Amino acid sequence: MLASLAGATLVWAIVAAGCVCVGSTGRVGWPGVEVLPYRIEIVLVASLIGAALAAAGVVYQAILRNPLADPYLLGVSSGASLLSLLWYLGALSALSLPIQAAGQQAFAFLGALASVAVVFLLSSRRRRIEPVTLILVGVIVNAVNGSLYLLIFFRHPELVSRGGGGFTFLVGGIQSNLTRQQEWLAAACVGIGWIVLACLSGQLNVATLSEGEAQGLGVRIHRLRWIGLTTASIVSASVVAISGPIGFVGLVCPHLSRLIVGRDQRRLLPAATALGAALLAVADAISRVLSQQSLLKTQLPVGVLTGLLGGPFFLLLLWQTRRRSEGAM
Amino acid sequence: MLLEAKNLDFAYGRHPVLSGVSIELTAGEVLALLGPNGSGKSTLLRVLLGQLGASGSICWDGRQIGQWTRRELARTVGYLPQTPAADPEQRVAEVLQTGRAPYWGAFGIESPRDLEVVHQVAGQLGLAEFLDRPIAELSGGQQQRVYIGRCLVQEPKALLLDEPSTFLDLRHQVELTRLMRSLSRQQGIGVLLASHDLNLAATCADRLVLLHEGKVVANGPPSAVVEPQLLSRVYGVPMRQVETASGRVPLVYPDLAS
Repeated sequence: MLASLAGATLVWAIVAAGCVCVGSTGRVGWPGVEVLPYRIEIVLVASLIGAALAAAGVVYQAILRNPLADPYLLGVSSGASLLSLLWYLGALSALSLPIQAAGQQAFAFLGALASVAVVFLLSSRRRRIEPVTLILVGVIVNAVNGSLYLLIFFRHPELVSRGGGGFTFLVGGIQSNLTRQQEWLAAACVGIGWIVLACLSGQLNVATLSEGEAQGLGVRIHRLRWIGLTTASIVSASVVAISGPIGFVGLVCPHLSRLIVGRDQRRLLPAATALGAALLAVADAISRVLSQQSLLKTQLPVGVLTGLLGGPFFLLLLWQTRRRSEGAM
Repeated sequence: MLLEAKNLDFAYGRHPVLSGVSIELTAGEVLALLGPNGSGKSTLLRVLLGQLGASGSICWDGRQIGQWTRRELARTVGYLPQTPAADPEQRVAEVLQTGRAPYWGAFGIESPRDLEVVHQVAGQLGLAEFLDRPIAELSGGQQQRVYIGRCLVQEPKALLLDEPSTFLDLRHQVELTRLMRSLSRQQGIGVLLASHDLNLAATCADRLVLLHEGKVVANGPPSAVVEPQLLSRVYGVPMRQVETASGRVPLVYPDLAS
């Protein structure tokens, strides 16, 4: 585990250093002293988001025993979007000043956690949660959140025309209105959460088996599901709060890492984390370059890019694995 | 006494599955659990492991089940369910390694001893050459050996096997029988297997326990339990016994003529 952690960190550091050299000015090269801190900050934030989503994706896929699981499956993104839309709408901010002061990020974080809590509550029976029930309830809660979102959206057509910084959130992109404090807070949540997940990573190998086998191998499977899913949800919620729902990183990175380091979760978790960090740093750098082209004229949210690139890429991956498994038969 | 369970009662909701079952297992013994579908064999195994809460008393190695942590129990008892759920692309070595889970430290860090045991078991079961192959590429018999290997990697004193021979052909059944006998004789492991195969059980087990509708209806050496009248009643099928010249092996077959 230590070896893969070190290797993965090294790979990320190289990629991140490369990304620091790419700016929105069109010039590629090591940035000047006045730009450097800002450039490093944006690369680090992008890496943090990618790392958190990929790590949460690994844990979700293992515990839910489903290769299609991503960190948004249990309601994190739809809850965050819904509540941040409410905040953005100003409906709430008009009510009281403290709410407005709490900021869109706090609202999104609470929305994400509340949504996951509802999913847990609805799918637990006798304090136990089963993967299949969780997935079904997650899909339902996501759908309800989405419908509410659309309902509010269509009731208030002025939202689109108003546009602006906060709107990036709804698409999934790194916010420009982040405070240093919010970034540190998110980083702390992700850091602590990641250590907890790493501590569980051995048991995650067993979680992919059947319930009886896992128990037979000494794992308290129900406790593992609670701790693992809750921690992974907090980790992804804390970055969704600062970036909105950036798609595909949490789904693709675990799969891609599995091709590189195999299926042992103890190696997979660090590898996927570093890959997610590197991938989102690169995607963000690309979106910086694209944004300065005269064609777009506006900041391209990185969420649009990951969706556009991630979708076809995932299909490719799927075809390749299928061809390989057919070849094996 | 490795296992001593008394007066176990268990019900799924309102449907009683086990009533007043008592069962014992000693070190170095092969004990086969027989009975028709739904007689409670698999349930009994999971109850004995503390996976399903039942009333009655269960003692492993002289300690009540409530006093064991899952991790400790996993170092003493290996369990193989009817259909193990492995990721088909997992390599054999990885499947075997998960058997060391009850010994891992935090972060799943392995000790040299963990790797040593995996290699030792792989050698013992003739799996050394397959270690790097995905489990899905192995034949059914080989896969079953890998799963039994995963149990042995736990270094257990007892093995609970749920119908381990179901998908095996004759040769692999015989191999499995030999393996169970050598484990019990040479390593002193107590083996408790649930089985549908009366004759296989009769040839490999030291003692048979027959379950019928959640109750133990017979408990004794094969010659006493494999008895046509008793089995006809339990399975609801007329049975006949094979008469061999040596007369030593109790074999039965369903009487299709009557």
